[in-house]
Amino acid sequence: MKRMKVAMTVWGNRISPVFDSAQTILLADIEDGKIVDRRREFLPRMVAPGLARMVAEKGIDTLICGAISERPSQIIKQSGIKLLSFVGGNAENFLEAYAEGGPLELFRMPGCCNKRENLVSHSGPLPGEVKSES
Amino acid sequence: MNGKHGNNDNTLTEVILESISDGVFTVDHHWRITSFNKAAEQITGVRRDDALGRYCWVVFRSNMCESDCALKRTMNDGKSFVSSSTTIISSEKKLIPISVSTSLLVDDEGEVLGGVEIFRDHSLVEELRRELSGACGIDDMISQSQKMQDIFRIVDQIGESDSSVLITGETGTGKELMARAIHNHSPRREQPFITINCGALPDSLLESELFGYKAGAFTDARTDRQGLFGAAGNGTILLDEIGDTSMAFQVKLLRVLEEGDYTPLGSTLPVRTDARIITATNKNLEGMADRQEFRRDLYYRINIITLALPPLRERREDIPLLVDRFIDKMNRRKSRMVSGLSREAADILASHHYPGNIRELENIIEHAFVLCQNGEIKPDHLPASFLHHPAPLPMQDDPADYRSATAASEAETIMKALARAGYNRSAAAAYLGIHKSTLFRKIKKLNIVLPTIDGRRRSS
Repeated sequence: MKRMKVAMTVWGNRISPVFDSAQTILLADIEDGKIVDRRREFLPRMVAPGLARMVAEKGIDTLICGAISERPSQIIKQSGIKLLSFVGGNAENFLEAYAEGGPLELFRMPGCCNKRENLVSHSGPLPGEVKSES
Repeated sequence: MNGKHGNNDNTLTEVILESISDGVFTVDHHWRITSFNKAAEQITGVRRDDALGRYCWVVFRSNMCESDCALKRTMNDGKSFVSSSTTIISSEKKLIPISVSTSLLVDDEGEVLGGVEIFRDHSLVEELRRELSGACGIDDMISQSQKMQDIFRIVDQIGESDSSVLITGETGTGKELMARAIHNHSPRREQPFITINCGALPDSLLESELFGYKAGAFTDARTDRQGLFGAAGNGTILLDEIGDTSMAFQVKLLRVLEEGDYTPLGSTLPVRTDARIITATNKNLEGMADRQEFRRDLYYRINIITLALPPLRERREDIPLLVDRFIDKMNRRKSRMVSGLSREAADILASHHYPGNIRELENIIEHAFVLCQNGEIKPDHLPASFLHHPAPLPMQDDPADYRSATAASEAETIMKALARAGYNRSAAAAYLGIHKSTLFRKIKKLNIVLPTIDGRRRSS
């Protein structure tokens, strides 16, 4: 299976609640449902669109983050990167569930809009799950 | 208070909380939301049932959550915070400007149950403020000056055309931002935008940066390297400080502009380029052409459309607008709650000459953020060079009074010496030729207000 590069904005051991003001990013490689490599990098303080451009240049396939505003979200998606946004909770638990193709609904941040945008794992839609943001 | 009364009070409190337009939520000691009123639902877009029991940051989603949570400071220090500015992200990805006040949640027995956060949606206020200010902006530029608005109006047309553009203006007037705005409003917007400062590089390096080179072109050229023209593809390339280039380089640039191709160093084959070239300078190219310091043919070639950006001193009406913008920007970047300028600081900034233009103003605000954690930026938060302006001189009496005039002069001399010594009191005393204790005595006697800079720490 192809190795996938995933980035997740983190806050300690949690998914960072807001991408726009995130200070750390976790970069992970996933292969055969397992996390084979991971490293953390500090993010410089910059305006959200600039941050999105910088993250987009990291050669990743997917960005996982908490709340994200419209402009950086557009930049990520226009860069051909799959965006899994408005998720929260323990970063490692999410990453493992994502790598294994497990259900991710429990990680969804509360709010109305996400109900229409079901989360999907990298390995394809799970039963009852339709699409992610792309 | 008897039980019956207590129940009535609680019901009344609930009714009030549900009726007000400010969002209110409470958390327990584990940061789990314990109550969430109707306005909070409306502002955040999160239903009460979904919010209750969840961590406050997954519901509130503020830019302050991660680094400078007001509620956390309240819970740690027991202090209330009033009207901190921040933004939250709604479920629809909208950035909502809000003000936040926090306090401890304490019961009748004085036991701390958690914290309360009250927040107010400022979207409408921000919108009205923008309308009232009459400000017009494009991309990252904003202005209410007529000259700038005239430029903003034609940026779309300039972007659509493919003509060469020359942007002139003093340093710090926003030439690069303007070039980027033209690029963003052009059909090339999805292509790269590349900037190079021509004045910073010697000829040979500038050529290799722009045109690239073939392996073996010079000693260290082991492999082919694509230049910036190659990297720009069909995008836009900004040649900044074009007035600082040599005549020899100008010939090569003229060829790129006229023929649409260039030759990488060490190659004999020209390479086509479709990049749009924008040039910028803070020099008077026409005058330079008259003095034969700049090629006239190149000047006419790059000068098809000229945008002359006015210096900040000619658009003083923008100073408050720009200050607000920089304060907002720095508040978000540094997660601070600086509310604005004090009247004295605003007066000082309004009367400054700004040789460094908007960049200088932005640097002044950034400097102030180092010294000012929250509240208003005051004169002593401004850079030392401004300190002679506020003149917090001790004299309140008739200036003709000899004693007052002497005191004023003495205070000014001391302030200048302190500024010069980087606020190191000992160094300032040495500079003035007086003992350190004499200096302290005079500072006290003359009521000189010193900034919070510690000169000793700074110098070490």
